[in-house]
Amino acid sequence: MNPPAGATSTLSAVEVADRVADRIDALFATVDDWRDGLQAYLEMDAAPTAATLDPVVEASAVPALAADGLITGSGFVAAPGLLSDAQWHLAWWLGGMAGIRRLATIDDPSNEQFRDYTTLEWWRFPARTGARHLTGPYVDYVCTDDYTVTITTPVVVGAQLLGVVGMDVLVDRLERELLPLLRASRLPIAIVNASGRIVTATDSRREPGSMLRLDGLAEALAPLREAEPPRMQTTLPGGAEVLACGDTSLALVVGP
Amino acid sequence: MPNATGHRDAARSVVFAALDGTGRAELVEQRLTDAIVSGVLRDGERLPSESQLSRSLGVALVTAREALEGMRDRGLVRTRRGRDGGSFVTYDRESAARLLESRVRGHSRVELRDLALHVSAIAGTAAELAADRASHDDIETLLVIHDGADLATAGGARRALGRFQLEVAAISQSPRLVREEVRLQSEAGPLLWLCLREQEYRDHSAAARIRVIDAIRDVDPVAARAATIAQATAALDWLVDEKVRLEASADAAQGVR
Repeated sequence: MNPPAGATSTLSAVEVADRVADRIDALFATVDDWRDGLQAYLEMDAAPTAATLDPVVEASAVPALAADGLITGSGFVAAPGLLSDAQWHLAWWLGGMAGIRRLATIDDPSNEQFRDYTTLEWWRFPARTGARHLTGPYVDYVCTDDYTVTITTPVVVGAQLLGVVGMDVLVDRLERELLPLLRASRLPIAIVNASGRIVTATDSRREPGSMLRLDGLAEALAPLREAEPPRMQTTLPGGAEVLACGDTSLALVVGP
Repeated sequence: MPNATGHRDAARSVVFAALDGTGRAELVEQRLTDAIVSGVLRDGERLPSESQLSRSLGVALVTAREALEGMRDRGLVRTRRGRDGGSFVTYDRESAARLLESRVRGHSRVELRDLALHVSAIAGTAAELAADRASHDDIETLLVIHDGADLATAGGARRALGRFQLEVAAISQSPRLVREEVRLQSEAGPLLWLCLREQEYRDHSAAARIRVIDAIRDVDPVAARAATIAQATAALDWLVDEKVRLEASADAAQGVR
């Protein structure tokens, strides 16, 4: 339905869900491009090393940090043992006020600060399902040191997982883009992830980072935790409506 | 204007000397010493090379070298030349007792109390928030850390404690609390958690983790905070008792004269 000429345009909940999905899908498309490029490279190079692979990753990861204001980190994380010259390896770049810098990592497992990244959600999930995954919002103390959403997708050659490519998006910047969309609906709306954690909301009492606890919400969101989140729309017992934002695994909760 | 005296020149040159001087070397030395005293770095363990240290700590090569020399002088590190060479931790019972004593006696009760309060404020608030904000996956992560804890050594127990509290801070969803937790762990951790040298306290630390996990699972912020603060308070009590004991025996030794 088009708003009458001259009236302030008001978005319906479905339109808001579509626009949120469009914004996230643009990020997904960027990650998928990197994956394709890296997969093609790794099909050619049977014995990759960190020394040869890093420039390949850098060539796509670094321009993205400047090109899209939402992206604050990007790169490739190798499956342990993939690279002959580095058992554990992150080729990850971070943008910021001070310019673009490479993430300093601790790759020595005997070091106290070492973290086995294969235990972290952004690795674990795509490694298990073979599908793209949106992690967070979460405090990322390994990379960005900030409140973050991380999108990762597996790099697979010949059925073997070689690593994941991905990007970090600061929740702060995501909110600046998405909250105006929610407000344009003039409805009480919260964006939540598949666990029911609030990304941002129009209601001041629904704090970003907190869990939205509504009867039936956990069950309604459960399908979004699958490898290929379905498009769904349902109404909770309390009357709130839940709409998936495309296949992003995020959802809108509309109503009190 | 009269010519500046040599003395004055010397004072000026100190002001403008590169910051990569003794101050930073002492900080590096203190950091490594803390790690050895608290058992994070073990007897016989090989330290990173001078160049690795300078890179990871963000200090000049000479600073790293100076710090290692200082530790060598204090008998905490032994350097072997050659193919399998490097700097190795040497930490026997005697040097352990000596270092612990100077570390504990170097702080007043007021300072120790304040340190424990600061840790309680940060870790307690983090636990309180985490109890309201944890997802099922978050609780699983905490259980994995708890199950993987090595309680057989002081270093293992402290690593588990630090790892657990960092994760709880992350679950609070507050980047500021996480950054403060990380900062406090390196500043206060080695001193406050000295009680983990005793098996009894390692077992307590595991029991405290269970109480925190249960409180988070029950969405009970008050209980999560209380369990976290009780642990810091017990650590402080041990530290103060240890200080009193060490000072009493030092006084007795002096009183013999």
